[in-house]
Amino acid sequence: MNKYRTIVAALALFALAAPLAHAKEVTLLNVSYDPTRELYEQYNASFSKYWKGKTGEDVTIKQSHGGSGKQARTVIDGLPADVVTLALAGDIDAIATNGKLLPVNWQSRLPHNSAPYTSTIVFLVRKGNPKNIKDWGDLVRPGISVITPNPKTSGGARWNYLAAWAWAKQQPGGSDATAKDYVRKLFKNVPVLDTGARGSTTTFVQRGIGDVLLAWENEAFLSIKELGADKVQIVVPSLSILSEPPVAVVDKVVLRRGTRAVATEYLNHLYSPEAQEIIAQNFYRPIDETVAAKHAGQFPKIKLVTIADFGGWAKAQKEHFADGGVFDQIYAPE
Amino acid sequence: MRIATAVSATLLLASAGAAAADDLSDLRERLEAQEQKIRVLERKLELQDEATKATVSSTPVVRASPQQGFRIQSADSQNVLRLRGVLQFDGRYFPDDITPATQDTWLLRRVRPILEGTLNGIYDFRFTPDFAQGKTVVQDAYIAARFKPWATLTAGKFKVPVGLERLQSATDIRFIERAFPTSLVPNRDLGVTFGGDISGGVVNYAVGYFNGVSDGGSSDGNTPTPDAENDTKGDWAARVFFQPFLNSDNFALRGLGFGVGGTYVDSTGSITTTLLPSYRTPGQQSFFSYRGATVAVGATPGPDRVFADGERVRWSPQAYYSIGSFGVLGEYVNVSQDVTRETPTAGVRSATLDNTAWQVQLAWFATGEDESFRGFTPGSVFSLDAGTWGALEFVARYQELDIDDDAFAGGSNSFANPDTAASKASAWGVGINWYFNQNYKWSINYDVTSFEGGAAAGADRPDEKALFTRIGLQF
Repeated sequence: MNKYRTIVAALALFALAAPLAHAKEVTLLNVSYDPTRELYEQYNASFSKYWKGKTGEDVTIKQSHGGSGKQARTVIDGLPADVVTLALAGDIDAIATNGKLLPVNWQSRLPHNSAPYTSTIVFLVRKGNPKNIKDWGDLVRPGISVITPNPKTSGGARWNYLAAWAWAKQQPGGSDATAKDYVRKLFKNVPVLDTGARGSTTTFVQRGIGDVLLAWENEAFLSIKELGADKVQIVVPSLSILSEPPVAVVDKVVLRRGTRAVATEYLNHLYSPEAQEIIAQNFYRPIDETVAAKHAGQFPKIKLVTIADFGGWAKAQKEHFADGGVFDQIYAPE
Repeated sequence: MRIATAVSATLLLASAGAAAADDLSDLRERLEAQEQKIRVLERKLELQDEATKATVSSTPVVRASPQQGFRIQSADSQNVLRLRGVLQFDGRYFPDDITPATQDTWLLRRVRPILEGTLNGIYDFRFTPDFAQGKTVVQDAYIAARFKPWATLTAGKFKVPVGLERLQSATDIRFIERAFPTSLVPNRDLGVTFGGDISGGVVNYAVGYFNGVSDGGSSDGNTPTPDAENDTKGDWAARVFFQPFLNSDNFALRGLGFGVGGTYVDSTGSITTTLLPSYRTPGQQSFFSYRGATVAVGATPGPDRVFADGERVRWSPQAYYSIGSFGVLGEYVNVSQDVTRETPTAGVRSATLDNTAWQVQLAWFATGEDESFRGFTPGSVFSLDAGTWGALEFVARYQELDIDDDAFAGGSNSFANPDTAASKASAWGVGINWYFNQNYKWSINYDVTSFEGGAAAGADRPDEKALFTRIGLQF
């Protein structure tokens, strides 16, 4: 190889590498679930400022939102997410096992099972609670119209479903059979299934459909903040579920795009007091004890079950939401 | 009694009022229930619509069109796969006294399925095998990364950016065979270029580095190893082309383009790898080659074979212009080649030979279509039922190729044999192209070529008269 050929080959390599280097400097894609739009808009601005101060680099974070399960499938199908911030661990498990885009032990890489905030499921009803809905049992009364998204596509919907199941099972004489019968009746009262939680909020709030919305706590608070307390109100059920929306770096994507450092810091920074404050302001329950104590008054105290009560997400997913699972058995669209 | 009657009446009225209120309440509930049902139906339709849009936005698109061939592309157009093809069936007839009768023939000139596409919206690729003339050759195999319009990196085997008519697609050239200037510029070669368009194509530039090929040649013709470097010296190539009025409203000047291209190498040939070309007539018959160019299969080349030994510089000013249905294309090529020969009686001789070629060609659509350097759309398609005839184009050209006189100096010690190699060829030609539609074309060309030298005792080689025809299919 003569010197010219060496020079040309080097220039060609440089030219090929240039866009990769360029990509490393500027963009991250955060693929998230439906109701986190406002949270991450605020957090992204804060993180960009933090990263600029720390490294001098400009970083722009793009957001993608949708039903958590649907978002996971999109990432598996090739959407180049640097980070995923989804509604439940089972969806990131799917990216790890089906897409092989990150290791299966991803949840142990960040504190608190990689969940920098938690939330729970509450009821949102029309102002004055005209149908007198107080607890899960009221949702299966004749004539009650319940709004919840589709558990096949929405993480929030799966939390709703499991909370309902847990309540039914804890009733006197409760069993898997009575719980199954309960959720069958519950979904008979669901007139329309959206693909994500934000879609269900639209159905309930903007389209005026239904008597009660099974909602993320943060989504319920946000609805009241945006609509005003004279339109809707929150009903706290006797029992709900601790939902731990997890976050993870998508290793294969950050490796390819050269964004591992900034993507990792983007998630680590979620645990900082500054980010935890933003989390609380957006009605998610912060992990940081100091910030949680400061905002304790805004979150009702509820008896909570956890996903561990269902044997973990893998088991719950297989039993309830996989093809042929309980949900497929109890729900038939009209 | 009156009191009782009044009380009864009051009770009746109250009862009737209560019943009316109940009815009203019932009606209101039923109305609300109906409203809910309507809202639910509307919402379901809305969700269906959203789902349909989402599906459409991610569904790949399959297209088949006369111009672009067959195409599969992702919904966002970032990933495209196209299947195209070129099939050209030629007839060659020589109504002269010089060309052997065996050259009258039918032949498949080009049989090229073309697989090309784009990945991630940036990375173009093309693979073009050619199965014509009883052999298989990879004509194009390259990747082009379009980082910016002005910054495209192309690597692989493709046309070297020098000659104007050479860079015109085989389906767009106006004559069946390209003219003499194309014989002096490289065809396809293996290498890397960096270039692109500036100001929306007003300026196009390319700078590249290639293995290097002899005049008019492709790297698949390299010896001893096709599609590989054979002299350790690569060729630099560069071209800049201007279309200053490309994006202007000036109709009269919009079709003007001009530029210059060239190559440079300091090559080291040998008697086994001469790196020297021979030149062909418009009838594709060889009329010039250096001494010792022809070696019998299995024979050892003679020690007095001429070979490239030093710098080879090509440069080519070029231009085209089109206005309405009229177009003109012109180019000039000079190749300055250092050669060496160990002569029989004068020792080792070296010289720098300057060979030149030029052409001017005219084209005119009698059916009124607009002339263009790249492609065009017939105003009508051939249809007996509709009584339409497609597009008819008349073409004419004049061309010359002049060999440096020093190539013939020195008698038996010369670099070229004047008894077999002509020192100059001049040709005029006319032709008709009948475009039945965008995909099907019939052409006929008639070229007459006169020579200086090339025959025994200083005589001129007789004129060549070539009548070529072509049936071509492209998609």
